[in-house]
Amino acid sequence: MQSSTPVIIVGAGTAGMSAAVELAQAGIYSIVLDEAPKIGGAVFRGPYREAIELPHLDSKLRKKISNIRQQYHDHQTFIELRLNTRVLGPAGQHSLLIRHKEDVSELSYEQLIIATGCHERSVPFDGWQMPGVMLLGGVQLQLKSGLVRPGQRMAVVGTGPLLPLVACQLHKAGVNVLGVYEAGKLSDFAKEGRALLNRPVLALEGMGMLSYLTANSIPMHYGQGIVSVSGDENINKAHFAKYTDDWYPIDGTGTSLELDCLAVGYGFVSRNQLSQLFQLEHDICPTSGLKPQVNVWQQSSQDNIYIAGDSVGILGGEGAMVEGRLAALSIAQNRKILTPEIVNKHAGTYFTLLHKVKRFRAGFDRIGRRREGLLSLLKPNTIVCRCENVPRSAIDDVIGQGVKDITSLKMRTRVGMGDCQGKTCNSYCQDRLGYELKSTDIGHIKPRFPLDPIPFSALFDGVQ
Amino acid sequence: MRTDMNKKYDIVIAGGGVIGASCAYFLSKQKDLKIALVDLKKPGNASRASAGGLWAIGESVGLGCGVIFFNRMTMQNAAATGDDLPPLRPHVLPDYFFEFALKSNAMYPALWQELKDQHGVDFKYEKTGLKYVMYDQYDKMYADSIVDHIPGLMDQVNWLSAEELAEDEPFINKESIGALEFKCDHQVNPYRLNEAYLEGARQNGVELFLETEVLSIEKQGSRVMGVETDAGFIACDTLINAAGSWAAQLSKMATGIELPVYPVKGQIILSERLPKILKGCVSTTDCYIAQKDNGEVLIGSTTEEKGFDTTNTLPELKELVNGAVKCLPMLNELNIKRCWAGLRPGTPDEFPILGEMEGTQGYLNACGHFRTGILTSAITGKLINDLYRGLPLDMDITPFKYARFLTQKESHHEETRLA
Repeated sequence: MQSSTPVIIVGAGTAGMSAAVELAQAGIYSIVLDEAPKIGGAVFRGPYREAIELPHLDSKLRKKISNIRQQYHDHQTFIELRLNTRVLGPAGQHSLLIRHKEDVSELSYEQLIIATGCHERSVPFDGWQMPGVMLLGGVQLQLKSGLVRPGQRMAVVGTGPLLPLVACQLHKAGVNVLGVYEAGKLSDFAKEGRALLNRPVLALEGMGMLSYLTANSIPMHYGQGIVSVSGDENINKAHFAKYTDDWYPIDGTGTSLELDCLAVGYGFVSRNQLSQLFQLEHDICPTSGLKPQVNVWQQSSQDNIYIAGDSVGILGGEGAMVEGRLAALSIAQNRKILTPEIVNKHAGTYFTLLHKVKRFRAGFDRIGRRREGLLSLLKPNTIVCRCENVPRSAIDDVIGQGVKDITSLKMRTRVGMGDCQGKTCNSYCQDRLGYELKSTDIGHIKPRFPLDPIPFSALFDGVQ
Repeated sequence: MRTDMNKKYDIVIAGGGVIGASCAYFLSKQKDLKIALVDLKKPGNASRASAGGLWAIGESVGLGCGVIFFNRMTMQNAAATGDDLPPLRPHVLPDYFFEFALKSNAMYPALWQELKDQHGVDFKYEKTGLKYVMYDQYDKMYADSIVDHIPGLMDQVNWLSAEELAEDEPFINKESIGALEFKCDHQVNPYRLNEAYLEGARQNGVELFLETEVLSIEKQGSRVMGVETDAGFIACDTLINAAGSWAAQLSKMATGIELPVYPVKGQIILSERLPKILKGCVSTTDCYIAQKDNGEVLIGSTTEEKGFDTTNTLPELKELVNGAVKCLPMLNELNIKRCWAGLRPGTPDEFPILGEMEGTQGYLNACGHFRTGILTSAITGKLINDLYRGLPLDMDITPFKYARFLTQKESHHEETRLA
């Protein structure tokens, strides 16, 4: 198939930009859409305003931010960037409906790469909505893009490799970090030693962070996690406890910290709203939520739609880079611009790296597998869906009524019907219903068109 | 794989939308029957996609859902024949449909109380009235013509002058010349109504097989023996077809005859949550508008024959937006939160298909409710219960039986098209 139409890429993060660069190297044009005003995605976007020095960010991160910008710069003849642009959903066959400021328009594609990344998994607990309780990625964005300190006295709680990293960044930014609480046990990490050595450099970086924490007297607590937070207008206390193997807090092991901000991170969820609206085939993945099916070339169940990066399963930056490049190579081959021989030669090293990344990641996924105990951290009146103000007790009621699927749960309680389309509450609802019914076959909250609100004025033809 | 359950049901209801759920509720009230309801949520399920209008007069005279469709049909006819655009004529349904709609409508206040008091579920019944808002003399002529068709319902009709309308609904376009109001046309929350019937039925002992697909129907001779599902075989004496837009496939399996039921797509727009800006439901000749119980303003709806497609499309959404902003100018400052499309179970004459099918025993139809399933769910449930038990019916259902398609040479629908 010979074609000169640009490939449409949704997301200018690591996966999307790697795909655009790889396509450019093959002489293929692309249009890259991103909702943010800068490229790089949540991880490498960097500050919104230019700052001369970023002493709280390590040199490696700064280098990666400038790398991604440099790569775009080197290939920009082939890459059309459309920033501040949101994708609202599919528009009929082979088109996207997009919005830039007040303009809503259609953008047609022959091949589409979805590289929408992930969003945070919100784990509700008693007090989670209180100002000062922040999710880990949000804390990072404040540090990296907003250049503000989220709090003065903070703790970091959750699971995964991001915990020590954020603790280090906060400390370097001048925050008093009181402790890090990792739900996984130290023995779990020891068990996963082999898996983690698949990426020795990353493992070493992790060790480096842990020694930084020790050197700065920031305690790292394993096998412990959040119980609740309290305060008046703002959080002023967080309560932690040792967790059982199923992550239930153990009575009598509680400790409390006085603080003004808490960073909470129990993992991420693939941002799959767009792939769902395309009605692609998905699998249920305990780590990443609903995960679009792809082949080794990142090709989805519709053969002109590719998915790369965290939106097809959380692997982090290296995985995203490789997946973006593989998608691009496959498109170049389908367009008969690169021969299968050249594509396979290039792809070989990518496949090897991706394999290692996946094994490395699987180690953390086993340690950080969410356990049922997390479901016990809500009081009956704890809000689950904050758009529609649905407390846990309302969910208890309809489960008592024998609800068997998430759509009925939604219809009866209004969870997931708010502006965020369930991005916040879906994780709890899915886990809870799955736990109660001992089944994962409960459906999922389906995203609706449009993915973002559209002003009526953008569709109104008349004059007022 | 065949996992025979050792239980036999008196009735299996296929379909858990508002019609199937209502049948389950009414049939289970005496708690003397063993009933199972089988449901699989498919994209386009009309009960969840509905606006929730109980517009008994409005729908019967072609306002609400039908208005865009008839408006466009008139224009297309004019374009096809090369004539000048004729004055829009109301599409008024026959008396037996009025009876069906009005009787059902009259059941809701008591039903709402009953489901709340006895089963603890609230489907948000709201007394709103339905206003047909007029912008010009053509709209007024249309309204006059509607009123001419319903001499028996004068006590439900209320004319509002421009001033009265402005006072009653201050956010509606000030250029409007007035409104025709139907006092008995109200609204509910459609998916809460659906879930309320289901929950009432469950509390009455109906077994709900949710997320369960009907694979085939087992028969012995001309008698239905049970339903093969992906959760196993469910034996029954009677099967009720309440499969909405999917009813034709089910009837084919059960009776060998494909019912003339097909999906009719309707796109809907929902605004962000707003303070109360509309007292009543509204229809113009462009669209209908209803503010729902939680503050969102719902705008509907297109009428498209696109098979089972449920995508949203820009030209149709724009058409709805243009109609809505014209009527409620303040919307232009606000946001659309959601759009979706539902599949109305359409029939050639727009009437439901109720009751038995000649040649098949142990089978009843309760399908084809097209635009008015929410409104007529109550009477449908009651009629099906009475029919099953051999009780006298509240009204003659002959016009709604499948047999009408065998005798009728030309459907009502066709006549309208030719007119």
